[in-house]
Order: sequence, then structure tokens, then C-alpha cells
Amino acid sequence: MVRLKDRYLLVNIIYTDVPPGQAKGGAVPDLLLYNQPTTSELRPQLLLKGIRSEVAALFGDCGAGAIDRSLQVKYLSPATSTFILRISRAHYRLVWAALAFMSRVPVRDGRPCVFRVVRVSGTVRKVEEEAVRRARLLVLAAKDEMAGNRGSSAADALGALLRSDSSSQARSVAVPGGQVDSEPEAESQGLSSDDG
Amino acid sequence: MLYDLNIVWSPGTPAADLERTLKFAKNLGYDVVALNHIIAGPIPTQPTPIPNPIPQLTPPHPSYPGGASTSTSSSSSTTNPSTTASTSLPPLSKSSSSSALPTTLRRATLVITDPSITNYRLPDYARAYDLLALRPTSDKSFAWACTSTSEAPALISLDLASHLGWHVHHRAAMAAVQRGVRFEICYSQALTPQGGVDGMRQRVNFIGNVQALIRATKGRGVVISSEARGVLGLRAPADVVNLMAVWGLGPEKGFAALGEGARAVVVNEGVKRRGFRGVVDIVRPAEGGEEVRRGDGEGEGEGGDGGKAGKKQKQQQKQQGQKRRNEGGGGGGSQQGEVSKRQAKKMKKEGSQAKA
Repeated sequence: MVRLKDRYLLVNIIYTDVPPGQAKGGAVPDLLLYNQPTTSELRPQLLLKGIRSEVAALFGDCGAGAIDRSLQVKYLSPATSTFILRISRAHYRLVWAALAFMSRVPVRDGRPCVFRVVRVSGTVRKVEEEAVRRARLLVLAAKDEMAGNRGSSAADALGALLRSDSSSQARSVAVPGGQVDSEPEAESQGLSSDDG
Repeated sequence: MLYDLNIVWSPGTPAADLERTLKFAKNLGYDVVALNHIIAGPIPTQPTPIPNPIPQLTPPHPSYPGGASTSTSSSSSTTNPSTTASTSLPPLSKSSSSSALPTTLRRATLVITDPSITNYRLPDYARAYDLLALRPTSDKSFAWACTSTSEAPALISLDLASHLGWHVHHRAAMAAVQRGVRFEICYSQALTPQGGVDGMRQRVNFIGNVQALIRATKGRGVVISSEARGVLGLRAPADVVNLMAVWGLGPEKGFAALGEGARAVVVNEGVKRRGFRGVVDIVRPAEGGEEVRRGDGEGEGEGGDGGKAGKKQKQQQKQQGQKRRNEGGGGGGSQQGEVSKRQAKKMKKEGSQAKA
């Protein structure tokens, strides 16, 4: 039995400015500035619509048709500005490229932001674990930031996490067909190719 | 280590905006960025040491002069001639700001239309800035930048969002890569188009030009940078690599273009500015330098009679493993230790024969 193979993308929405309503009194710490909550107007349908239209703008009807059936929002958390997408494995790069080209939250008068793909995986379980891990680290780092001790361990851990993510992603992205990798981070790649 | 060798800077850029952009770059994972000053139009002949208006926000990169030592005095040794630099520094405490900011380099991009009038100023610009890039706008100037500049620029940065009007040929491109020139792809040119029909054309042009460049160089000698005009022009490294993968540059080559390729440019340029003609360089002074100097002084003072002093000096030198046999050898030429290579070989041979 042939299975449909998917990729799951864990995406963060990063903001770079304070929301327009708030006063610019005190300086916001960088950590909290980048990880602001998204407006609750952002529904999964709106997100899908935004991504679809961006794919259509970049890749035309051909690309939009390719991802039309398989694109799905598995999880959307406006509080942590995180969402998980599911796309077929053959076309996940199209969606990823479209995310790189989106510069606003896809709602009416959306704020400018950057969509950052932090994890690509073959199974939804690994992506969920990663999302939970990141959220926990973020909370710890934010607590430290509020406590006022800069350069403390949790903030360093988060920095190290972001760094190692980009490098481990390098490795897992570099494996196009999902070959088994010895790295534990790239386990998901192996999982997806096991039962093919 | 990831590099972003192009963040647009102009004298009108507010320091707060610049700082935000740099911090965001650091947050996304870029460790070294270059502030880019684009110089268009005819190049002035007048100011002889060309002033560098870009502020030096962080201590220089380790491979540049003054960057090797991490002490605070290093930044003062490579001050730029302009006086505005120190005033435009953000009024943050030094320790906190330097850890949040990536290492910044100062780069100039010269827009070149007529190659004949710019060539003689290139070394001056190369001296004033940390990196020198050329942006040729015509077929002729492109060929000139690729093959016949007096000294190879670090980067060739084409304006990929415009219609180039000529073909990038494989032979010219690879000749440039052989000289050590790298081609730069600035993804932000495609990300932030002006709206309307023009904006659409920009993106189309960009994609077409990127693919032409990748085809001409076969993915070798390509460096990816942002040319971000603000915070929102930056993207995370993995996203950029994916974009390039969609457009035909493989993910491995894409990551190399962000990491090793860009690092090669930076280190190369640093060595060019630090060492003598980019070839001879002082890595670090030898250990025990004080003692050697004292020994040399003795040799100079008593070199004439060459008695005990000469012997002592020789022993000292031998201890330090230095080959300076001829220096004090006037007096005590015939010593036990002095065996010529031929003699030693002979003795060794005899010894082995005797054993057999």
C-alpha cells in the first residue's frame, strides 16, 4: 500500500516592532519583542488563504494547484505565534518559499512580520515535541529576562537552541529524499523513509 | 558561523534603526554582517585618503587588523578618520550591546558604468573599507570587473532586480571566480518590491537573473546576502537556503554560500589588509622573545673576540631551537657540535655498515 508522504513545517511568526496601539515608553526586551502574540483574528482559514494566494503569486496556477489539496493547518496558536502546516513532500518547498515572501500577518491591516520555519519533519509528533520544547525554553528565558539577570543560563540555552536549530536544519534540509541520518535531530527524516 | 555581507547603510540611516536591524540579524543566527555603503555616480578624485563614514559598532573581525586581540584597545587602533563615527554610537552600555550585536564589517559598493575612470581609485577604496564590492551596470564594465581590475574586488554584486541587458557567460564568470572574486545574490531585492507592475517585473527579473548566475557559475563562487534596507528585509538562514533551493542552487551549496563561502571572502580580505601584500603575516611573536633579544645584544657587543661569550650564546640559541649557526661563529668555528650534513651522513653510513 502506497502512503501519501507529507512534510510538517513548524513556523514561528516574528515581530520586529511594538504594536501601534502601545505607548513607546520603556524599551521592550528583544526576546519579548520578537515573540509577541498574534492577533486572535488570525483563523486557520485566513492563514491558508494567505499562503495560497502567495503561492499563486509566486508559482502561478501550476504551483497553487500542486499544493491545493495537501496544504492544511494542523495547529495554530496565536498566543505563542506558532503554527504547524502539513504539505505533501513533493511540494513543501513551494509553501516554504511562499512563507519567506510573506511580510504581513494575513488578516485585514495585518502587522508586518517575518515567518520563520524552525523545523521541518516527516512526522507530526516530532514537530509537536519541538514546539513544546521551544515554548518551554521561551518561557524560562522570558522569566530570566524579567528577573533582570541578562546573559543567564536559560537565555543562553535559548540562543543555543536557535543556533543549533539552524544548523541541524541545515543537515536535515540537505537530505532531500529523506535518507536515514545518524543525527538524532534528523530522526524524523529516517522515520518518514522507513515505511515507504 | 553564518555571514550576511550586505546590510544597506547610508549616512541618513538612523542609529536606532540600524541597531534594530543588527540585533535582529544576530537573533536570526547571523554572526558577522557587513554594513554596505553604496557609492553611485562618478567617483570623486579629491579627498586623497578616502574617509569611511560607516561607524565601527563592534570590535573588528578577528582576521582584520586590530581584531585579533579582544582587548578594548583594539577598537581604538583602527579608528576611522571621520569624527562622526564615535558620536553616532548608540548610547548603550558597551558590554550588553556588543553581545547582542553581530560583528560588523564596513563595506563599500561602487556602482560602475565606465570602467576607465574608476580603476585607479580602487586601491584607495579597498584601503578605506573592510570589503570592496563592484556593481557593474553594463556589459563592458562587467567584463572589466570580472577579469581586468588592477586588484580583484572581493565581490561582484549585480543589481539582479533590474533587467541586466547582457548575458553572464560561463567563461567570464569562472575567470572571475578563479581570481578570487565572488558573486553576490541579495535576496532582499526580490522580497521588498515596490507595488504595481514594476514590482512584479522586479521579482521576475530577479528570479531570471539568479538562475542565469547560478547556471553560469554552476553554483561555485556564489555568496548569498540580504541587502536588507530595514528589519523586515532579513530572513532566517534556512528560509533563504530554501528559496535558493527552489531557484536552482542546491541546499548544500546554499548553506556553503551563507557560511564558508562568505567566510572565505572575509578572511581573505582581512589577510590582505593585515599582512604584508597579503602574503606575509605576523601570527604571534615567538615565545621567549625577551631572552633571545638579550642574547643578540651580547653577540653584538662581544662578537669580535668570540670566546666564551660566543659559546654561551650558541648554547642558548640551540636550546631555543633556532638555526643561527653563522652569526657568532667567527671565533668558535670548530666545535664539537658543528658537524656538516655531509659529514653526519657519512658517519651514519659507516656506522650502519659496521653494524652489518
